[in-house]
Amino acid sequence: MIAIYKLFYWVYRAISSVWYWARRRFTVAGLCVVVGFIVAGSSGVDVENTVIYQTFSLLFAALVFALIASRFFNGKFSATRLLPRIGTAGEPLQYRVAIKNLTPRLQNGLTLLENFADPRPAFDDWLAFQLAESRRVRPFHVSARRRNNPFRLVNPVEAAIPPLPPKGEIEARMEILPLRRGVLRFTGMTVARPDPLGICRALRHFSAPQSVLILPKRYPLPPIALPGAMKYQQGGVALAANIGRSDEFVSMRDYRRGDPVRHIHWRSWAKAGKPIVKEFEDEFFARHALVLDTFTDEQHSEILEEAVSVAASFACTVLTQESLLDLLFVGAESYCFTAGRGLAHGDQMLEILASVRACGDKPFSILENLVIGHVSAVSGCICVLQNWNDARREFVRKIRALGVPVWVFVITPAGKNHFDLGPMRGEPDNFHVLEIGRIKEQLAHLR
Amino acid sequence: MNGETPVSETPAVKTPPLLLLAALLFWGWQSGLLWAGAAMGLILESSRLIKTRWDFTEKEFRRIFTFCIVLSLAAAVYAFTSNEEGSFSQMFSGPAAFHNATLTGVRASSAFFRWLPMTLFLVAATQLFGARERIPWTAISVFARRMAAREKMIAGVNVTYPYFIICVFSAGIHANAGDDSFFWGQCILVGWALWPVRSRRFWLPVWLAAVALVVVLGFFSQRGVGDLVRILENYNGQWIARFLRQRADPMQSITAIGHIGELKLSGQIVIRLHTENGAPPPLYLREASYRIYHPAKRSWYAGSARTDFIGISPQTNQTSWVLLERTNADSLNIACYLNGRNVQSGNAMDLLPLPSGSGRLDNLYAFTLQKNPEGAVLAEGPGLVIFDARYGPGQTMDSPPAFSGADTNLDLFVPAEEMPALDKVISGLNISAADEEQKLRAVARFFGNNFTYSVWQPKAKSSNTNLTPLADFLLNSRSGHCEYFASATVLLLRELKIPARYAVGFYVHEKSGRGYVVRERDAHAWCLVWNGKTKTWDDFDTTPASWVAEEGKRASVTQWLSDLRSWMAFQIAKFRWGQTNLRKYILWGLIPVLILLLLQIVFSRGRQRRRQNRISKKSAPIFWPGLDSEFYRLEKKLVACGFPRQSGEPMSAWLKRAGDETALAPLREPLLQLLKLHYRHRFDPRGLDETERETLRREVEKYLSVF
Repeated sequence: MIAIYKLFYWVYRAISSVWYWARRRFTVAGLCVVVGFIVAGSSGVDVENTVIYQTFSLLFAALVFALIASRFFNGKFSATRLLPRIGTAGEPLQYRVAIKNLTPRLQNGLTLLENFADPRPAFDDWLAFQLAESRRVRPFHVSARRRNNPFRLVNPVEAAIPPLPPKGEIEARMEILPLRRGVLRFTGMTVARPDPLGICRALRHFSAPQSVLILPKRYPLPPIALPGAMKYQQGGVALAANIGRSDEFVSMRDYRRGDPVRHIHWRSWAKAGKPIVKEFEDEFFARHALVLDTFTDEQHSEILEEAVSVAASFACTVLTQESLLDLLFVGAESYCFTAGRGLAHGDQMLEILASVRACGDKPFSILENLVIGHVSAVSGCICVLQNWNDARREFVRKIRALGVPVWVFVITPAGKNHFDLGPMRGEPDNFHVLEIGRIKEQLAHLR
Repeated sequence: MNGETPVSETPAVKTPPLLLLAALLFWGWQSGLLWAGAAMGLILESSRLIKTRWDFTEKEFRRIFTFCIVLSLAAAVYAFTSNEEGSFSQMFSGPAAFHNATLTGVRASSAFFRWLPMTLFLVAATQLFGARERIPWTAISVFARRMAAREKMIAGVNVTYPYFIICVFSAGIHANAGDDSFFWGQCILVGWALWPVRSRRFWLPVWLAAVALVVVLGFFSQRGVGDLVRILENYNGQWIARFLRQRADPMQSITAIGHIGELKLSGQIVIRLHTENGAPPPLYLREASYRIYHPAKRSWYAGSARTDFIGISPQTNQTSWVLLERTNADSLNIACYLNGRNVQSGNAMDLLPLPSGSGRLDNLYAFTLQKNPEGAVLAEGPGLVIFDARYGPGQTMDSPPAFSGADTNLDLFVPAEEMPALDKVISGLNISAADEEQKLRAVARFFGNNFTYSVWQPKAKSSNTNLTPLADFLLNSRSGHCEYFASATVLLLRELKIPARYAVGFYVHEKSGRGYVVRERDAHAWCLVWNGKTKTWDDFDTTPASWVAEEGKRASVTQWLSDLRSWMAFQIAKFRWGQTNLRKYILWGLIPVLILLLLQIVFSRGRQRRRQNRISKKSAPIFWPGLDSEFYRLEKKLVACGFPRQSGEPMSAWLKRAGDETALAPLREPLLQLLKLHYRHRFDPRGLDETERETLRREVEKYLSVF
């Protein structure tokens, strides 16, 4: 069986190599010519009943000419990428490239192509993904299979280069669309020059290794009232640099459950139409745990990716609401990162989330122990789960038993939205099923 | 139209002006549909002049695309089953329609491809007359819709260039007339299409030189490719032919006589028969008969040349063919495949398996029918023919034997190599003085008593002798399959001075449902013997009757499965070769579907327009109150009196400006007060009460009378 998979793997590598080569070597018109050439070749065999073989011959001649013409290109270039440190999955990332013409002649009509590190996985990764897909999808249920390549971080990108003066330098604007989180590695750049017919391109490669961290995709969240009251934080004075409850007035904010009534600012309530309280410096402040469930056998699970995105959305939003946020998850080991109030910034938490990987070799109880050991310090707990099975239900039940309010978000495949609420039966409003494909819409309706 | 936001995308590369018109004209010219091509081209190019654009929604794009696909499918079904040659006039009925239904597969599928520019025209027109520059992928692909559902950005596709490519390809789907018009036409079109995407890095002369070089290279290579493909095609045809089962050749029958090992023929059903009113079928269906035996090649030859085939003209209904003027008492419905191929025309061609004494063939949709003096009937037509054979005892199509002497009478010719064995057998029979009937009975008895049927032929024990395989069969092994029996019988009878011929065909014995089936393993060889009294050729079969049971033993346990497959293949072949009325039903069934889709496209837009109109009519009084204000009349009057109001100038500013003029200075304030009333009437949600409304009316009238 492995031998068959190996064969498929090499076929996949061969096809992707050919396609990569063709997309870089040929222009769009060139690809049309190639497709026409293949179709004409296959349908023009009957030279008595069709004359398609004449089209085949013409396109063959055009391709031969274009391929020969693309051999002759004596341009020399160097380039420097002015790249931002981070980007976001699903958001266009723009940057500039300074290109220098090293030849003493004008170079125009050129195209700049980015070279990325080979995204194709090793056989073991590829096999793991194929086996996970075959478990997920019934045989022959082709339409349910994933259409997007889970290994590709970015689509091929190219941009036209303005005319390059002899020995001159010019800047070109590039825009890439990162497809998923992680480290996007650039290996170099290629300058392409089309042949006179505009079919085939001559390529000049040069090395320019660089990388950019792609943060997880994030969803906009409405202003949300997180569960839980403020809690006394051991040694919290050092932490509570600005916000908390002490004698020194700091600012106004929305009322949260547990705030003393005497701190309600009545005039502001009258003006805003909702309870507003005065905020004072103190060691009492809200602290939330953001629990990310990374337990899955699939390294490229779509559900995990969405779970990371949902966690990232909360990481951004909760921080702006001026409280502490602890991110808890299990990767190679158990991790707890605290952000907010001067400890760390939201983008740092996003950077951590950008590197989260699936945990397939440890039991779920590790996360449970991590959270339960930490839960005494937090006011509320946001759990982003990949499943709603017995282990996870028991986990939530234990946290609730400790008196900590919990919000549960379960990411599910599209169409699967009915679950037995289990321990959340008493608080159905705090239990949310997020279906892949509708997560943005469902998060927008959060209250 | 429905608030959908198109995906942001880079502008589509437009085809150069008039390129589509040129491509469609070229297609029309090459396909014989010039007017259709011209009309479609003009419509598409008119999109550059007509600035009106339809804002098609994704749903409408999808409907139009579906309509075109269904239309293409209808064309495919039609082309597959009928192979219309471009004219719609004889599409559904008449002998010509049946004739069209019988043309070859290659030409049939070519019609479908040739019509693609017509069937996909609406897709191209939708893009060109639509507000969007591309047709969304979601309208074309289910997968794209699925991806879009996952919030993935799906761009569209500019279909004009693919449509152009389809036009050029479709233009090339026609028989090769040997001229170069298609080549030069496509060169112009391809060059034209490549013009906008040429590299601006190079001067125009360089581009022109490159195009010229490519055209020259293409011209010479197309000559070479054409010749090469022809060579390969011929070679390929010969190569494949070796692997195909050879149906009877009217000129030659290569026997398996002398072959060592088991003779294997499959249980595949090759002929289906139905008799009239449950009458028994004829025992033999003959395909051909032969007169000359060649011992070295172990083959039988017809003894006549290919040129001896005589064409038979159909009757006026084009489906009845008279083989022989005679009375036909019985009728047999025969369904059989034509497995051979006419090299010149490419049509299917084969010998028809017919009962002895066939005089007339009815309902046979063949292109040509020929017969030879040995009673073989060669039909050229579709891959499957179903016809009624009228037959009866007595006279047959076979030529009578010539009695000018053994040397010239092929029906009495015996090869010298076989004579010793035959003479030895005859001497054993001791029938030299017997009459013809006695001789026949003795020969039948000889084979019946002394011989057994066997499909297994061991290595001859007497291989070191000079015995021929047939002599070995007669003298030593006395066991063999039908070809041994038939050949030996023919030669034996000839040696006894009775004219005889070697016949091949099928033996009918297996009932299936209300009819009979004939399997490949029922292929049989027997003897035709001349009856001097009746002057007819009679069937004379000396193969032991056990041969049917012997062959039957070799039936596989999964024969029912293979029979089911044969039946399905037969039904598909009936549909494929236009032998059912299903084709008509499918076409008529597709027409309402197409009409329904078209109505959906047309009237769904109409409904939307009407609904919008109704909404706008109802909303007029809601959104535009106070339009009945008399102040507008006053405004017009003041303008007429030489106080023009500038475009976009508020009325208050205009009145103040006008009031600065001496003539209007006294009326400045009263008019501004009146304007306030007008504004309240026009814009205040509470409006004016009756008194104020009356005041506005009265005051306006007063000032109108002043000016």
